[in-house]
Amino acid sequence: MKRTWPWLLALVLLSGVAFAMGSYQNDVYRKLLLWITLALGYNFLFGIAGQVAFSHFSFYGLGAYSVVIGITYLGWPLPLAILVSAAFCMAVALLVAIPATRLEGFYLALATLAFAQLFIVLLNEGGQVTGGTGGLANYRLPDMAGFRITGPAYTVVIVVLMLSTLAILLRLDRSHFGRACRAARDNPEAAAAMGVDVRRTRILAYTLTSTLAGLAGMVYAFVDNTVNPTIFGLENVFLLLFMIIIGGIGRAAGAVVGAVLLYLLPFVLSPLIGHHHALVFGLVMVLVVLFQPKGLMGVWDALLARRSPVARNHVDKGAKVQAHG
Amino acid sequence: MAEPTPLLQVRGLTRRFGGLLAVSDLDLAVYPGEILGLIGPNGAGKSTTFAMIAGAIAPSAGEIFFKGQSLTGQPTHAFAARGIVRTFQHNKPFDSMGIEENVMVGMHTQIKHGLWQVVLGTAQARASERAARDKARHWIDFVGLSEYAQAPVGTLSFGQGRLLEIARGLAAQPELMLFDEPAAGLTSAECGRLAEIIRGIAAQGIAVLLIEHDMPFLMALAQRVVVLNFGEKIAQGSPVEVQSDPAVVAAYLGQVKVGHA
Repeated sequence: MKRTWPWLLALVLLSGVAFAMGSYQNDVYRKLLLWITLALGYNFLFGIAGQVAFSHFSFYGLGAYSVVIGITYLGWPLPLAILVSAAFCMAVALLVAIPATRLEGFYLALATLAFAQLFIVLLNEGGQVTGGTGGLANYRLPDMAGFRITGPAYTVVIVVLMLSTLAILLRLDRSHFGRACRAARDNPEAAAAMGVDVRRTRILAYTLTSTLAGLAGMVYAFVDNTVNPTIFGLENVFLLLFMIIIGGIGRAAGAVVGAVLLYLLPFVLSPLIGHHHALVFGLVMVLVVLFQPKGLMGVWDALLARRSPVARNHVDKGAKVQAHG
Repeated sequence: MAEPTPLLQVRGLTRRFGGLLAVSDLDLAVYPGEILGLIGPNGAGKSTTFAMIAGAIAPSAGEIFFKGQSLTGQPTHAFAARGIVRTFQHNKPFDSMGIEENVMVGMHTQIKHGLWQVVLGTAQARASERAARDKARHWIDFVGLSEYAQAPVGTLSFGQGRLLEIARGLAAQPELMLFDEPAAGLTSAECGRLAEIIRGIAAQGIAVLLIEHDMPFLMALAQRVVVLNFGEKIAQGSPVEVQSDPAVVAAYLGQVKVGHA
């Protein structure tokens, strides 16, 4: 029980906020929560498993499109549409992962970029099924057992999604699977010598995080009640990349901080400098890469180490070990 | 008395690299709890033999039997699961993890619970994670790194990094441990400590196969030595026998000053 109460508290607080907000703020808040969810998954894939993949946003789109196609074109009830969409995302992720995880670094990046482009082409050319360039609209979340989940109540659904994603990824990170992912990234040869099936680990990490992105996409489909190819374009996957790098790569807290900052920054900057906020992003990105590769979490660690004597001791001890050797 | 059954039995092991025959028709046996040294001049095929037994490269011909089962055609990661682990000549730690986590990676094949149990946080998953951490501490203690258990890997010296390699390998509960030039790059004090640790490992019934350039170190440690030259076995026996073997002296030892003879 000691483990569950912080999660319950977070659920109550993050959900409660939604009920104090107007509909515009709720819309911004929902999208912020979705960005955090995506950044958390991408952080696991890129930051922990070390896979330079650019397909994360495509799976977000795949989830969104498939659930909408399920309830409209195919006329399925929502639970069936959700189950089939999740299975579909997982199957596509596996299909991409099995050949793509043979590739490393640059080549994996190229293969997943190609997949992301192909996805957009398919959306545009999908005719009646995908709605072509205009996408799909004129649908809404079906009633569940006579209830219609709207307004802040739907925001609660997104809070649950975000917290579950966080809980799942944290548990995976702290398990033998998380260690295998890091080992396969740090030194694949040594990982294999220790009995880690490097390819299987990579395929699993890719499939799991992509499926989580697909689930987030399903939830997103009923935020704007429209899905179209431009939403799932390549620009957004790079924003996702910026989020985890600026926040602090490989750390869940970094992904949260990065997502909050980069999602909210345009709201602050737009009144001041209009659409030039992309310029500010670029500049911040360059500064982070140059001066603090561990991102804002690295800055935070450095501050903590300066403040707390315990942390300072730890740093000193590290230095001593080095001197010792 | 019947001949004891070997733990590892290599028959007709051959490896070609293009036109080069690196290892040719090699037979080798390793018995439980023994320390076997594999030596030979540069280019004799030691490293290639080592890599094949470790599962890092596939033989061109021949078979490797471990506990009576053929390992031919198995992927690298399957070797650790069967009970063969190795250390690397150039330490290969997992840089982003602490020392304890590094050792816990060695336990990968022994963790039996599935990912769904991790995600649900079942009691079994948590208990086995705790047990893995306790075992990691035990092996860190065994090699004498307990002072640094929580330190990042980057803070270790080269010699301490070698000890970490050993702890990580032991965590896999091997029956055969392969050492790739373990003394390379160590100070003489560190070599002494290393020899002690390797004897301690063999004393637990774990077979040890090492390739080594440091002759005094190897001759003092190994109970049996196999000598390779041009990919073929030219001699085997106790360190004393091997050092007086004319073929060995001609091929190799004549060029090196041998201590502890």
